Amino acid sequence: MNKIRPRFRSSDSQRGVPGLNLASMPDLIFTVLFFFMIVTHMRDDNLKVRYQVPAGTEVRKMEQKSDVINLYIGDDGRIQIDNQLVTLDGIIPYINKVRQTLSPEQAERLTVSLKADRKTPMGTIADVRQELQKAYSLKINYSGSEAARQ
Amino acid sequence: MFRRHYREPVPELNTSSTADISFMLLIFFLVTSSMDTDKGLLRQLPPPPDEQQQPLDIQQEHVTTVKLDSHNQLTLDGTLLTCQQLTEQLMQHIEQDRNEHVISIETSRETSYETYYHVQNAIVEAYSTLRDQRARKLCGRPYAQCSAEERADIEHYYPQRISEQKPE
Repeated sequence: MNKIRPRFRSSDSQRGVPGLNLASMPDLIFTVLFFFMIVTHMRDDNLKVRYQVPAGTEVRKMEQKSDVINLYIGDDGRIQIDNQLVTLDGIIPYINKVRQTLSPEQAERLTVSLKADRKTPMGTIADVRQELQKAYSLKINYSGSEAARQ
Repeated sequence: MFRRHYREPVPELNTSSTADISFMLLIFFLVTSSMDTDKGLLRQLPPPPDEQQQPLDIQQEHVTTVKLDSHNQLTLDGTLLTCQQLTEQLMQHIEQDRNEHVISIETSRETSYETYYHVQNAIVEAYSTLRDQRARKLCGRPYAQCSAEERADIEHYYPQRISEQKPE
């Protein structure tokens, strides 16, 4: 009996499975790495307060990151500006200090992003807002997360 | 005849660990960086009140008062309503009285920021819906896709007139 053998089962060359070529693996991972380096930015603020921003349907993305002062109001009412805890009186000196380091055009664009906890009483917000008015930092972003529209 | 250069083969550099090294870099960047983009409602504050400045005389009939009390209850000119209704009501008011209307927001010191945020959101929604409608009628595309001049025109047509009272 002479059966026809399938071609690929040739008995004369019993080769093993060729090893997967991993030479391009580092390149792939480097590509992913560069992607992440471009789309993300370094976390620059050490958060000293805990907060949860409110949600809204009309929120817009902030354009520039560079001319923004982050002002956090925690759930315990403490205020953190960029990287340091301050009292109400510390807001104006800090903004003036930042403004001195900026060019006039940047100083004009300077925006304060207010990241306040959703349970903060409006009294605190109004006090902070008044300080910002006195510091002539009038552009303000009420930071919030995006909520789905009903 | 055949000159055979018999060379000692140069040993290849073992690069199998490059993948691991770049993985470590990748993980480092994933941990230390953040991708969250800052979103929010961009508003403009009025300049600080001047001592000599006379308060603007606004006729009471143009003013719509949005009031938030210490129990987070929302009233518009004295009637209780929800944020959804607030948007619709405000749109009517703005439409009726485009250039003269004033939305006055009164809050109490105990009002929670979240409630205030929803009200701000409702006001922004009212204005942006109206501006969007106008943009579609004039330029045939949504407000966000209009040119800067068209936007300025529309903003001039529907100016934002909001006044915020200092909470007592």
